[in-house]
Formats: sequence, structure tokens, C-alpha cells
Amino acid sequence: MAAGFEYRQAEEIAAAFARHGVRYLFLGKSGAVLLGFPDTTQDADIFVEKSPANGGALVAALADLGFPLTPEHRAEIGRGKDFVQVRYGPFDLDLVFAPDGIESFAEADRRAVTVEGLRVCHLDDIIRSKEAAGREKDLESLPRLRAFREWWLRRSN
Amino acid sequence: MEPTVPREWIEEFEAAARRPLRERLRYAFIRTYKPVLDDAPFRSFDTMVDYRRWCEENLPSWLGYGRGV
Repeated sequence: MAAGFEYRQAEEIAAAFARHGVRYLFLGKSGAVLLGFPDTTQDADIFVEKSPANGGALVAALADLGFPLTPEHRAEIGRGKDFVQVRYGPFDLDLVFAPDGIESFAEADRRAVTVEGLRVCHLDDIIRSKEAAGREKDLESLPRLRAFREWWLRRSN
Repeated sequence: MEPTVPREWIEEFEAAARRPLRERLRYAFIRTYKPVLDDAPFRSFDTMVDYRRWCEENLPSWLGYGRGV
């Protein structure tokens, strides 16, 4: 288990992903936190475009960030499995290539928001994804997330 | 804003908006050990259905990864 995710690591992700041209979006509660949602979470959830080129770029960026990936794990990430959980790096990371409730990366990317250089899913996509996943922990967080969405949209306009 | 939204939530949203991102991340990311889930350095699943099924079958229910009612 790695240490918690810190601002410095967010900066490093933004830089490494930009350097390698990784197409990604923060998703889940970590994405909501980046948008200002006051809550707690444990790991960074990153929605990654599923393509051979992007998989290769992601593997290179993760190496830059200090993830000591084995050749086998690099290959699995590069292939773009639907879900990859990494627990042996500088921070805990969930890579989601096909999140529930989101039709395509391109659609989500068009709606996404940039926060201090980090690409983040729109709250509507974060909420849709949690609704579709329908886990107990998602259902618990949804009323507060929906309230935050209303507040966030009013504040943005 | 819907009147059903608790006033304290609104106050928390407004307070969070006044904090810089660095501070928000420090308050938000809290590491606690999650049994089973954190016991392997790496896992991958071909499909989200496989992943959800694995969670249902292997994780303690109190972690909340099971399908809600």
C-alpha cells in the first residue's frame, strides 16, 4: 500500500501525461475532489483512452512517475484491459479503460474540465458513472455529489 | 438549489471552494488499509463485469463494493 496521493504527485501526473501525450481524465471521487467536492477518498481513478498508442504512452508516463512495472504488467496496461489496479507505486492507482455509464472517451473528453493542468471528467460523467456502477459506496455518495453538482453549475455560470 | 439540500453541505462546498487545490487534496486523500483489495500489488480485468464480479465474490461486504439495492 502506497502513501496517500498528494498535490506534488498531481503536478507530476499532469507533466508526465502531457510529456507523453496520454489521453486521460480523472474520474470517480478523486475527479470530484479536483473539481472542489469536499470529501475523502483513497486512490486516484483515471479514465484512459483505450488505444494501442495511448496504452504505450501511459506505460511510459507511469515509468516516469516511478511505477516499477514489470514487463508483464506493462504489457497488460498497454493492451488496455477494462480495469487495472496498481498498488506498488508512489501512490495507489486505478486505471479504468471502460467506465460504467460513459459511452466513449471522446464524448467524456469533450465535456471535461481542466484543473491546474489536470484533465477531469465533467461532474455529470462522474455521477453517471457512479449511478451505472451502482455499488453501495457509490449510492451512498450520490445524494451529496448531486447537490454539489447543482451548486458547482450555478457557481460556474 | 433544492431546499432539501442541507445547509451545512452548502457551507462545506463554499468553504472548499476557498481552499487551494493543494489543501483540498491534503484533506481528501486519506489512506486506510482495505483488506483483500490492497493485498495484491497488481490486478487487471478484461472487462468491468469481471471486475465487479470479483469484487462481489472476494471483498468484505462492509467495504461497499457490492451492488447496492
